[in-house]
This record gives sequence, C-alpha cells and structure tokens, in this order.
Amino acid sequence: MGDFALLSFMIFAPALGALLLLWVRKITASNATSVEEESRVAFLVGLVVSAATFVLSIIALAYFQPGAEGFQLVEDHSWFGGTLNEAGEVVGGIRYKMGVDGMSILLVLLTTFLTPLCFLASWGSVKHRVTEYVAAFLFLETLMLGVFCSLDLMLFYVFFEAGLIPMFIIIGIWGGAERVYASFKFFLYTLLGSLFMLLAVIAMYLQAGTSDIVELQTVIPQIFAVEDGKFGVQHLLWLAFFASFAVKLPMWPVHTWLPDAHVQAPTAGSVILAGVLLKMGGYGFLRFSLPMFPEASVYFQPMVFAMSVIAIVYASLVAFRQTDMKKLIAYSSVAHMGFVTLGIFSFTEIGIQGAIFQMISHGVISGALFLIVGVIYDRMHTREIKFYGGLVTKMPVYAAIFMLFTMANVGLPGTSGFVGEILTMAGSFQASTWAATGAALGVIFSAVYMLTLYRQTVFGVMTNEKLEGIKDINRTEAIVFAPLIIATIVLGVFPAIIFDITELSVAPIMAAVSGLIG
Amino acid sequence: MTLPDPLILFIVLAPGIAAAIAGLFQRFIGDRVAMLVTTITVGSAGILSLYQLFAYAFGGHHDAHHHFQHVIHLARWIDVGQFHADWAIRVDAMSIVMMAVITSVSGLVHLYSWGYMSEDPHKARFFSYLSLFTFMMLMLVTGDNLIQIFFGWEGVGLASYLLIGFWFHKDSANSASIKAFVTNRVGDFGLALGIMAAFFVFGTVELNPMLEAIKENTFEHVAPIVSFAEAATPRDASIDFLGYGVPVLELIGVLLFIGAMGKSAQFFLHVWLPDAMEGPTPVSALIHAATMVTAGVYLVCLLSPIYEYAPYASGFIALIGAVTALYAATVGMAQNDIKRVIAFSTCSQLGYMFFAAGVGAYQAAMFHLFTHAFFKALLFLGAGSVIHGMHHEQDMRRMGGVAKYMKITYAAMLIGTIAIIGLGIPHTKFGFAGFFSKDAIIETAFAAGISGVSFAQLAFWFGIIAALLTSFYSWRLIYMTFHGPMAESNHHDDAHEDDGHEDDHHAHGGKPHESPLVMLVPLILLSVGAVFAGYFFYDAFVGHHYEEFWSGAIYAAPENHVLHDKYDVAHGGINPGWVFWAPLVVTILGFLIATFTYLFNRGLGKRIADTGGPLHALFANKWYFDEIYQATFVRGTKVLGDFFWKVGDRKIIDGFGPDGLSGLAKWGASRLSAMHTGYLYHYAFVILGAAAVFGAVILINVAGAN
Repeated sequence: MGDFALLSFMIFAPALGALLLLWVRKITASNATSVEEESRVAFLVGLVVSAATFVLSIIALAYFQPGAEGFQLVEDHSWFGGTLNEAGEVVGGIRYKMGVDGMSILLVLLTTFLTPLCFLASWGSVKHRVTEYVAAFLFLETLMLGVFCSLDLMLFYVFFEAGLIPMFIIIGIWGGAERVYASFKFFLYTLLGSLFMLLAVIAMYLQAGTSDIVELQTVIPQIFAVEDGKFGVQHLLWLAFFASFAVKLPMWPVHTWLPDAHVQAPTAGSVILAGVLLKMGGYGFLRFSLPMFPEASVYFQPMVFAMSVIAIVYASLVAFRQTDMKKLIAYSSVAHMGFVTLGIFSFTEIGIQGAIFQMISHGVISGALFLIVGVIYDRMHTREIKFYGGLVTKMPVYAAIFMLFTMANVGLPGTSGFVGEILTMAGSFQASTWAATGAALGVIFSAVYMLTLYRQTVFGVMTNEKLEGIKDINRTEAIVFAPLIIATIVLGVFPAIIFDITELSVAPIMAAVSGLIG
Repeated sequence: MTLPDPLILFIVLAPGIAAAIAGLFQRFIGDRVAMLVTTITVGSAGILSLYQLFAYAFGGHHDAHHHFQHVIHLARWIDVGQFHADWAIRVDAMSIVMMAVITSVSGLVHLYSWGYMSEDPHKARFFSYLSLFTFMMLMLVTGDNLIQIFFGWEGVGLASYLLIGFWFHKDSANSASIKAFVTNRVGDFGLALGIMAAFFVFGTVELNPMLEAIKENTFEHVAPIVSFAEAATPRDASIDFLGYGVPVLELIGVLLFIGAMGKSAQFFLHVWLPDAMEGPTPVSALIHAATMVTAGVYLVCLLSPIYEYAPYASGFIALIGAVTALYAATVGMAQNDIKRVIAFSTCSQLGYMFFAAGVGAYQAAMFHLFTHAFFKALLFLGAGSVIHGMHHEQDMRRMGGVAKYMKITYAAMLIGTIAIIGLGIPHTKFGFAGFFSKDAIIETAFAAGISGVSFAQLAFWFGIIAALLTSFYSWRLIYMTFHGPMAESNHHDDAHEDDGHEDDHHAHGGKPHESPLVMLVPLILLSVGAVFAGYFFYDAFVGHHYEEFWSGAIYAAPENHVLHDKYDVAHGGINPGWVFWAPLVVTILGFLIATFTYLFNRGLGKRIADTGGPLHALFANKWYFDEIYQATFVRGTKVLGDFFWKVGDRKIIDGFGPDGLSGLAKWGASRLSAMHTGYLYHYAFVILGAAAVFGAVILINVAGAN
C-alpha cells in the first residue's frame, strides 16, 4: 500500500464532492439554469461521488486481510499536543489516526453501499434545494465514515458529534410537517448523551496522556482499574459513554426521538438514520465500552439486558398499534436494535458476532423497508396504513419485494434477519435465560405487526378509489431494490462471508471481558 | 440402500429451483410452462423417492445397531465459534420415509391442481408456492443440524402462510393466514429456545454429536459453563432456567415439543388449523394434512434419544397427544363444513401420533404418519373433488346424494374413510392402512401403560374413545355428503345464482359433476396407498424387522421394549387379548350410530344439532378456544401496545423527558427553531470550514514529518 492514504481519501471524497458541487452551483448561479437542470446535475454528482466512494471502500476491502490481527490500512499523524521523541517524531497527544478492523470495514461498506442508493431513491421525490440536499448527504457520508475509521478518541468524538448536524439539517429542511419538533427532539436527546461523553473523553485524555484508541484499550482498564468490584470511576466513565451510545442506538427508554425523526425525515434520511447512524451506538459499545471498561460492562450487564428485552417486547407491541407506516418501522428498528445490545453484552463470541451481523443485516433490511414506504409515499403522499389496501392487484412486483423484506424483518431463516437474531439470542441464553426468553417473545410479536401491516396495505380488496391509478415500481426503484434484495438473501444463505471478516476483531473484545465472567 | 448423490440432490433441490423458475419468470414463461416445470420436477422426485423407499425397505437388511446414514455437505452456513451449521442433506431411514411421503403426495397434489385450479387466474404463483413448500419440507427432513431444520420449519410456515392466504382478496383468508403464521411462531418461540438450550448444553447444534452424546451419556461437547459436578451422570444434569433448576434433557425436550405443538396443531396451539382451510383444497391436502403438520411428529421421533431420557417431557407429549386426539374428535363430530371435519380429523390423528411417541413407540408414530399421509390426502382431495363438482359448496348440510353424480370420487372417499377408521381383522393381515398403524399405536399405548409409562393408560382410553368418534364423524361425512336426497336449499341457491351469473361455470344448472381425469388419477393412486401402505410396510416400520429398517435412526433406551410388548401374551408380548379387538368394536359401534342417525333417520342429526344442548354447542364452537384467545391474548396485546405507546412513550417518557424540558422553554424553543430554518444550511459551511482545517492540519503534519 505504501504511504497512500486510502482511508482518508475514501473518507473525504464525499466531502470534496460536496464542496465541488456547492462551488459549481455558486459560479453557475448567475446563468439562468432551470431548477430541473440543477437538480439533475446535483443528483448526478451525488451519485457519481458516492459510487466512487463505494469503489474506494471496495478497494480498501481488497487490501484488507481478514486473517491479520489488529487494525489495518493505518494512517497516523500527530495533530495536537504530544511530545517529541529522540527520533524527532511527535508521539502521544491527539492524533489524526485512521484504520479499520473487520468490524469497522463492514460498517464502512454498509455506509458506502447505502448512500448511492439514497441518491437514486431521492431522485424523483426531492424537488427543492436539491444541491444543498445532495451536499448534506455527502457531508454526512464523510462524517459517518470518519466515525468508523477513527482510531483516535478525540477524532472519533468530532466525527461522532458532527454527524448530528447534517442529519439535523436533513430532517429540518426536507422533512415533513412536524419537522421542527422532530429535529429539536432528535437534537436534544443526542446532545444530552454527548455532553456526558465529552466529559469522559476529556478525563480519559488527561489521565492517559493519549487519545489513541489502540493504546487506550490497554491503558484505560489499568488506570481506572476496579478494586474489589467496587463502584468507581470506571463505572462513571462507562455510564457517560453509555448515555451517548444508548441514545444513538436507541435503547429503551431514550428511544422516543427515533419514531418522530423517522416520520419527519425524507425517505433517504430514514434509510441513513436506520441503516447507519443507529449502528454508531453498537459500534461504540464494541470499540469503547467493552474493551476500555470491561469490569463496568460486566457490572452493568443486567441493566443492559433488562433495557434490551424491554426494548424488544415494548417496541414490538407499540409497533403493532401504529397507524403510520414509518412509525411502525421505526419502532421495529428499536426492537431489532435490542438484539444488538443483547448480543454485545452476552460477552460470548456468538453473541458479539451475531450483534455485528445484526447491525449489518438491519442496515440493509430497515433501509429497504423505509424505501418500501417511500415508494408509495411518493405516489400517494400519505403514510397512513388505513389509506392503502389491495396494492397487490396494481403493484405485484412491489408486493413481492415488500413480502421478501417483511419476512426478512421477522427473521425468517434464509434471510439475513435470522442469522443475527438466532446468534444474539443463543449468546444471551448462555448469560441469562430470562433475557433469551424475553427476546424470543419478540420473534412472535414481530410476526404480528409485520404481517398485519402487510395485510392492511398489500392484501385485501382495493376499496380506496384514489389508488386506482397507482403504478408498480419503476426502473429506478427496481435498481435501488435489487442490491438490497441480493444482500439480504446472500447474507442469509452465506453469512460466513461476514463472520470470516469479523472473527479476528471480536477476539480482542472477548479477551477483554471473558476473564471477568463466570 | 440410498440413491446416488446426484439423484438425492435432485429430489431435494430441484423443487426449489422449479419454484424459483415458476415464481420469478412467470411473466415470461406463462402459466402452462410454470405448471409443467413444477409438476414434472416434483413428480419425478416423487417417483425417485418412492423407489428409494422400496429399495431401502426391501433391498437387503441393515445393521440394527449401527446408525445407517449418508450425509451430503452442500455449503457452509452459520459458522461462528462452536455454533456450526452447514447446509447438508442427511439420508437415513427417517428422511427416506419422509422424502417418499412428501414428494409423492406433493407430486399428486401438483397434478390434481391442474384440474382444481384450472379457473384461477394465478396458476403460476400457486404452483410456485406448492413447489417452494415441497423444497422447504425436504430441507426440514434432511437437515443434519437443528438450524437447517429450523430453516425448513419456518420455510414451510411461510409457504403455508402464502397458500392459506392465496386468495388475498378474501378477508377471512388473510386473517387465517396470519393466525397460522403467528400461532406457529408461538411454537417457534419454544423451538428456538429449545435450540438455544441444546446449544448451551451440548455446545453444538448438529444432530449427530448431540444425539451420540446423549446415547453414550458422555457430553464431550458440553459448554464449560454448565456444571455437571453434582449430577451422577451427564444426562441427570440440570441447568438454571428462569430461576429453576431444570434437568437439561427435560428442558430441551419440552421446549422443542412446544415447537412441535405449533406446527402439528396440538391442543392449545391447534386453533390455526381449522382456519387454514381457507386455502385452496389441494393445499389442505398437502400441507395441512399429509406433510407439514406432521413435522412436529417427525421432530420428536428424530430426537428420540432426548425423549428416551426425559420421562416428564415424554409424559407431557403423551398427555397433550391424547387430549388432542379426543378433543379434536369431539369437535369434528359437530362441524358442518366438509373441510373442517377433515381438518379436525387430522388434528385428532396427529394426537395419536404424538401419544405414540410420548409412550416411546416412535416407530408406531412414524408408521401412522406414513399411512395417514395417504388416506388423509385422499380424503382432502376427495372433498376437493366434491367441492369442485358442487361449484365451491363446502357446507355438508347443503349436500347429499352426491354419490350418483360422482361415482369415482365416492369410491375414493369410501376407501379413505375405511382406511382412517382403521378397519381390519385383528391378528391377520387383512385391513386397510389405518388398521395397521392406528392399532399399533393403541396396542403400544396399552403395553406401555402396563409397564407404568406416564399417561400411557390415559392415552389408551382416550385413543379408544377417539376411535369411536372418528368412525362416527367419518361416516357422518359420507352420509351427509353422498347419500340421501340433495338438500333443497342447494337447488334453490343454484337456480338463483344462475339468474345472476352468465358465466360458463354455472351452466350445468347446479347439478354436481364428476371431476376431470387429472383430478381423479391422484385419487385413484392415493387409494392404492390408503389400502396397501399398511400391509406392505407393517413389518418394516413396527413389525419383526423394525430394528433393521430404522437402523439406529430411532433410538430406544435399553429399558424401552414397548414395540415387543405390544404383542399378546401368546406372542411374547404383555397385552391381553381384548386390547386387539377393542378398536374394531368401537369402530363398528361408531359406524352403526352414524348409520342410524344420518342414513336411516336423516334429519335426526339436524334435530340433535337444533335442539342443541350445551354439549353440542361446546363441540360446534370448538370448545370456545377462539373466543377465549380473542378475549385474552389478542385483546391483551392490543391493550398493552396502546398502553406502552400512549402512556409509556407519550405521557411518561416524553412527558418528563424532551417535552417536559421543552415545555419549560417552549416559547424560546419555537423562536429558536423558527430562526434556524432560515439559516440552517449555513451549518454546511461550518462543516466545510472544519474539513478545511482538517485538511490543512494534515498537510502541515505530513509536510512536517518529511
């Protein structure tokens, strides 16, 4: 690889594209280009840039060696602080350090995979301020990729928090009628979590003298060692990080921002929100909470289990009663992310591997489900379940795709949804039969709400005459769904392609906590 | 022995490929090609599987003490740590029997559907689903690990859901399909937990190491977390489940059986099966009679090593099976929909299979599964033929005298009925299929009762009473449908319909007509099975050669002699002579009562129903299970969901959380937000600036480093 900064190039490519786009718009503003023309150019640029980013991430994957331990494609430069060593190099301090392991490269791929699909899906439906829309998404992509690639805690924090801003903008400008309330709620929740985390980050930096994540994973457990299982600083730090990650994920009871944010967000916003942003919480647990605060993680396991199981059962039941399709899918997301936390805090190999898999799988499935809602929202401009019914007669292809993702969402074996659920549950069974039993209840409820939704929208007799002229999915939509369908089935039938990559990144996490249980 | 690998691969995988072709390319290939592809594929698989069964059963003896099996590994599937599940095809006695049942019945049902579905606009979709089901069922019975079994298990559930709701414009069909899927999911909740418990205890989800470990009483693969220190042997070990110390095999056994209860419509989880009759009748024959609903029986028999050492779990199975056998028979007596009678009959017969397995006679359970598949598919397809001939009339009160219009269907239904009531002469080999298998179950139950197996005596008596009721409701069906005068209302209705509809369909003037040849051929072939399946395979399944036939696929603990004990004292068994005559006596009794009530005194049955009485109301309303579940579970789910949403989320979490905070600064917040919307996109430039700073810093550092 030499010194070529592949990861940085990949991370900042979307942002550069966005800058280019804004600059081009600025210099052509005087020319009387039509709004349509401008939108077309903007989407085209967005699509090309994000597709190029996807290609870059594939190149990164090609260089990535699943059989090697530790982080790969590492770039390390000093940034602030630090000291000079004998060789005249700056060591310590806050660094610009990037690198990936098996877990993060998959989340990178998920991000670069979903973003081009978002542009394709928004092509016909977003009509005002398209240039800014595309730019916001491209900036968002850079920030998301930065989160998953940062190997410096400060750098991570910057990306993690900055990601709020474009999402806030996307909901606030291109959102629905209640977008102000939703974006405010979203902002309030996530900011609150982040403040605690910032305090913890500063404390850790001051104590350790470095914010290098790899170093922190070894020194933090020693600096903040827990004596005789007593509640100490490590527990406080764990709670501070937990506040932030739990809101992001989101876990019960800090989940109520999610349904509002989803309902108000434009379709592509929901796809990214559910597909990638929620995963930052799970990623945070695995990158920070478990390796850096192992005793505290074990200490709080019962609480996390309780919150996860409540999330699964509670959110599933609430989803069943929703009248808005997007809200239903949003609550379903909360339930499915409950499996992620359950798996992570089972401290078993299958649980953690299952949790990572579940994150990837849920990214694909929930993204697809939001797109499915988007398809009929674009046509009818309502997400009320009652409005629809009997769509199968006019939209047979749509009905088939919807059925596939309904089944994937209820975790039918053969789809990717199953693998994550069974592994996280089997992992949690080893830690707590209560948790596994509670989670298994979710398997029943998911069938209840998804099949009811499907029946009310797709099956039955078409009684609403406004639906008479509704058209089946068009070619663009088919192109958007095709990769998602392939991903869901391939991951369901050959999940080993994921596990082979994540296997070695789970090992050190297991090593950190495994000595503390049993 | 077994077929060569390529042919086995064909049997299992080709129906899946055919389903994909028919389903995905129906627009390009058209209905007829889709129907041809699926029917020929599944039909050939049926012929191959039947050949395999005969070759296996009669083509030489197998080692009784060594598990004969042949596993073809297809691909890696889930492989994480110890959790190792491959895509595989396992061929042993169990799967050879199941493959034969599934593909042969499915092939005939495919053929039959050419006639039955001839007027349906979605034929390609229908045949695609049928083949998909066949594929999933084959994956279920050939899995070599619990996860692939679960794949097939849920896959057949999907196919069942799609086929029950095949007529998606019907509200009742949509309700029924969801009810089926969700009730099955309740069972799968148990099944999934059982798999997790098994993985926890044995450290594997693969069948061979797991079952060997139980047989050998050495859990080499057990997870280190389980402590066996205080247990005398690994089999006696307990784990903590929901705060209780539960013996591991009992726990796994009961949890997995809950899954079986869902799929096989056993008491408490049976409610979906009668509603599943909303699906087209060929579906009822294939999925809800012959194959899918027997998957639970298959699972219990497959895992016989677990149940052999889990007496409480086995007792539970025997109890549930016996109760179901009797319960469903009582309900079957009071139904008027021809398909629902047969549905409850299926439910009842599955109860027989389960109590056989519960008392340790797994071979008898499998035997009844085998014979039942033929005569029950025959009864359903016969009923379908009547429904087809009567222009979609299913209410037996509006039938009568159909025999003279549909002679072949009538003959087939008679054969099916004689087979299900199990007519035959004890101690001889003269009898229909049901005689061999059902009597084997009743005899083993009695023998097990003598040996003190829990609930075996209850099972025997319930089985005897249910046999009486079976005979009664089966003949009641024959008499109400085929004998006597045609119901007046039917003529009237058809005449009325003719006024309204001009289509060809009603041009017959409402007279029933015999079904086309394509529907009659399956009836005739299944009739052959219903007559001879028992006679041919008795010795192999439960007779003198059973150990060689099963060849280790079914395990009996050293102290389990129930299959030997079922003979009478003179033949080395422990049963008294009257046990062999009891089923025949009650069967004839049931026949006489039905003949008296529904043939000679037509109308007596109706008068009994009209005068009602609490017992009739109880039976006719299926013991009010639907009403009770509606009032508790369904309502409870809705109320809880609303409560969590409207009180939990809105009032408590939001009320004290963000809304409470914002209420504090409502005025300020709204002002702030109003301001934001105007300038928000300037945030983009903040990021832009940040990015620029990043870039500058990197450049400086890179430059500085060099």
